[in-house]
Amino acid sequence: MSVLPYAVAAWLFGVGLYGIATSRNFIHLVGCLGVCQSATYVLLLGLGYRWGSIAPIFYDHPPGTPAVDPVMQALVLTDIVVGATLTALLLVLTVQAHKRGGSLDPEKLRPMRAGGKSGRSQGSSRVDEPARGSR
Amino acid sequence: MSPRFRIALLALAGLVLLPAAARVIAALPPFGSTIALYGERINAVTPEARHVANMVSAINFDLRGLDTLGEEFMLLAAITGTVVLLRGRRGEGTTERAMRLPGRAVIPRSEAVVLGCRIAGPLTCLFGLYVVLHATVTPGGGFQGGVILASGTLLIYLGEGYAGWRDSIRSHWLDALEGGGALLFALCGLAPMLTGAAFMQNILPLGTFRDLFSGGLMLVENLGVALAVTGGFTQLFLEFMEETREAEEPDEPGEESA
Amino acid sequence: MTAFPALLLPLPVAIPLVLCAVILATAHILPGRMPDILAIGAAVSVAILSAVIARHAAQGPIVYWFGGWEPKDGVYLGIGFSVDEASGWIAAFIGVLYALTFVFAWGFFDRTHGHFHILMLLFLAAMVGFSFTRDMFNLFVWFEVMSVAAFALTAYHLAESSLAGAINFTVVNSLAGFLMLGGIGLIYAQAGTLDFEGIAAAVAHGGRDPVVAGAFCLVAAALMIKGAIVPFQFWLADAHAVAPSPVSVIFSGSMVSLGLFGLAKVSSVVFAGSDQVQQALPILLIGLGSFTALLGGWMALLQRHLKRMLAFSTISHAGIMLAGIGALTAGGTGGMLVYVVGHGLVKGALFMIAGILLATQASIDEIALRGLGRGIWPAGIAMALAGLLLCGLPLGALDQGTRLVQGALAQQGHGIALAATAIGAALTGAAVLRAAGRIFLGLGPDPGDEAGAPSEDEREKANRPLWLMLAPCCALLALDVAIPAEVIAQALPRAAAAFMHRPDAGALAEGPAWLPWASVAAGLAGAGYGLFRNRLPKVVVRPVSATQSAPTRALEILHSGLIGDYAAWLAVGVAGIAAVLAMV
Repeated sequence: MSVLPYAVAAWLFGVGLYGIATSRNFIHLVGCLGVCQSATYVLLLGLGYRWGSIAPIFYDHPPGTPAVDPVMQALVLTDIVVGATLTALLLVLTVQAHKRGGSLDPEKLRPMRAGGKSGRSQGSSRVDEPARGSR
Repeated sequence: MSPRFRIALLALAGLVLLPAAARVIAALPPFGSTIALYGERINAVTPEARHVANMVSAINFDLRGLDTLGEEFMLLAAITGTVVLLRGRRGEGTTERAMRLPGRAVIPRSEAVVLGCRIAGPLTCLFGLYVVLHATVTPGGGFQGGVILASGTLLIYLGEGYAGWRDSIRSHWLDALEGGGALLFALCGLAPMLTGAAFMQNILPLGTFRDLFSGGLMLVENLGVALAVTGGFTQLFLEFMEETREAEEPDEPGEESA
Repeated sequence: MTAFPALLLPLPVAIPLVLCAVILATAHILPGRMPDILAIGAAVSVAILSAVIARHAAQGPIVYWFGGWEPKDGVYLGIGFSVDEASGWIAAFIGVLYALTFVFAWGFFDRTHGHFHILMLLFLAAMVGFSFTRDMFNLFVWFEVMSVAAFALTAYHLAESSLAGAINFTVVNSLAGFLMLGGIGLIYAQAGTLDFEGIAAAVAHGGRDPVVAGAFCLVAAALMIKGAIVPFQFWLADAHAVAPSPVSVIFSGSMVSLGLFGLAKVSSVVFAGSDQVQQALPILLIGLGSFTALLGGWMALLQRHLKRMLAFSTISHAGIMLAGIGALTAGGTGGMLVYVVGHGLVKGALFMIAGILLATQASIDEIALRGLGRGIWPAGIAMALAGLLLCGLPLGALDQGTRLVQGALAQQGHGIALAATAIGAALTGAAVLRAAGRIFLGLGPDPGDEAGAPSEDEREKANRPLWLMLAPCCALLALDVAIPAEVIAQALPRAAAAFMHRPDAGALAEGPAWLPWASVAAGLAGAGYGLFRNRLPKVVVRPVSATQSAPTRALEILHSGLIGDYAAWLAVGVAGIAAVLAMV
């Protein structure tokens, strides 16, 4: 099917966004962000593909053999590095959030409490053995 | 906002976006029919112009080297951020004791694991080095090889235990490795300007096509990237590994401004 | 071989990067203040180099091709930088802002071996690269570098609220990055190249194409997310409120504006040939811009946490800038460019004042700080001046930008948008003036609606003398007031035309001269209402509070701080842009 890769990319992004919107665990949220990112990989690589072409490495084949688009592959390489850095940063933030707040639930971690009460009064509930154990 | 309201909003957005996406997809060129002119031209021109066989490496280190420079420094920024975030909380001290969870046994390392890691470790590092060096002839390059090398260091942890890991991996060296690699890459951009060429122009001798030493300046940039990625990812592993250690003092909920 | 001015183009990007790598490599060896000195040096050199480039670019955009890959046979093989006069001056402004921020942050981050400076220098390099580039994917790379540096800088304080703000910021801006990448992929598939000029030619040839519209939808959504436009604005308040003050100066002073700068460049250079896009732009940008201006202004009045209030003020001004772009004239875009500089200077000064309050009074809550500012009255004068400038006081660069934007909107007949820009500015100015009156004069004992706003106990390190923190703040305000208006007015028609790739159309229209004064009056009235509420007759107070409380509560519930909500609104926003594009 000539539209399947693009449809898959759209589907992946939609599913990832749904996951982020309804997530109850930060690790799950990071994974959903990764799914959104996979959508861009599929789109870019799909746009750069051509039937019957080799990889753009002319080691075993002579130069001039039809090859797929190397620009898209280079773009995806950059994208993968971006994804790795984002995942690392978000996981670090998650680790710190869990240490400080005792919970991995996005619904429970709010930037600030209304009315001037300190955020700390709600945090640090060390009732988190199940949360720690359930990796 | 309740989850129901969120799903309602998403559904509303989907009502508009799905037909739009369908129209866009229908208007795209059919999958696999053609590639862009830019890609065609690069495939045609680069083997002759730069004596390299790996088009992707040529794009990363020569044609679009500025993108790779930015991306390299982005990796550096993320790892610096990680270090600041984790160390700022924990402090710079290290401790030997691993964190223990009640109810979980600590299984001693088996000799098979130690032997396996001692065999696999050097092999992995050798393979990583191979991937780094052959950037311009086979798939691979600085990023890929650097990550393999960094994961090779994890085998040190598995095989030698935390003490062995800490003895061989020093954070200061990793900082120097990371910064040095990035600096090398940035200087590869500036140095050609001193000879009157453009930023990051390939002024070194280009070597022979399909040979290990082909591509000129690309190999130096590749080395810079490999050093920086190895240093960076090992630093990342180090910081995450430190998180599994038991803290010397109990965490104090005090002021934590950097 | 390239001529002299072109040779300078890589340097404002390369110098901060090299120094960043040097500081990292020698992180444990460098003596105490070396990172600060190196950073200030880098920022100053970026400012000077960009100013020189901008001067030379007055005759025409300067182009530089990286790696020696000049375009051959009309095919663009390498990455290029194309700096027109306006982009050069924006980069120079960014350099100056960073230099003053580094002075402000002197000694603030001494425990971290220069890591703050590494991240800030990278941020600086990315911003300059973003302004200079003429390649779509290179634009994306600098966009992502800016984002990652910002993510790392936000969570410095490590308090629970910092982490939540940083996570929200990171997730929303990452989604923006993915949207932008998707848009770039789509447009590359249709155009076959990544260079601005190449894509523009292909778009103009193509006619009405759903792929081009889809690509624009995604790229515009990404840049509007960075520019904190409704309904993508939620992350800014969270991120701003928790980032350290020097970082907040940069966020509001340049990062948000740069997103809109990018949108202006992309829509006027790359998508100029697409009629569908050009017809959708006024509706989309002016509509969203006006709504953002009003929403941001109203939310600003409802805050008691100073940095959160200033964040909403930035959102409001971002809306005004977006409306300026939407007018699609040289006057509107030129006005927006001047506005970027003026707003950046004033907002940067205000965040420095917030930092001064955090350091000297150990609080950032307007109500808790009531009357405590009397000891640092020079900061109070600066804050009052900044508040008046935000309202629209006819003085300086911010006002010049406002008048040009208002002139463009009036010329195109957008009366509601015109009113919205004036009201938004008045509301944000009123909020700042009310806070200034409360903190430095001890007025306003009756808290009103803002008492229910989110807030937090905060403090920042108090190890710098007051004059060291106040001097950059006053320098920023002085720059805004003292930039000669005639110089800008003379250069701007030419610069705006070059930025938009259009022929120079002569002098730019200015808005009605009484409108800024009306804004100032409204701002003072709003501040006065807030400060003297307990003395006003009930007949004035009761209807105002009755009409306000329900919408106020609704708005505050919407700004919940939950990432799931933000993701849902993001989807709604993208759908909105797609709907407008489909309807024209």
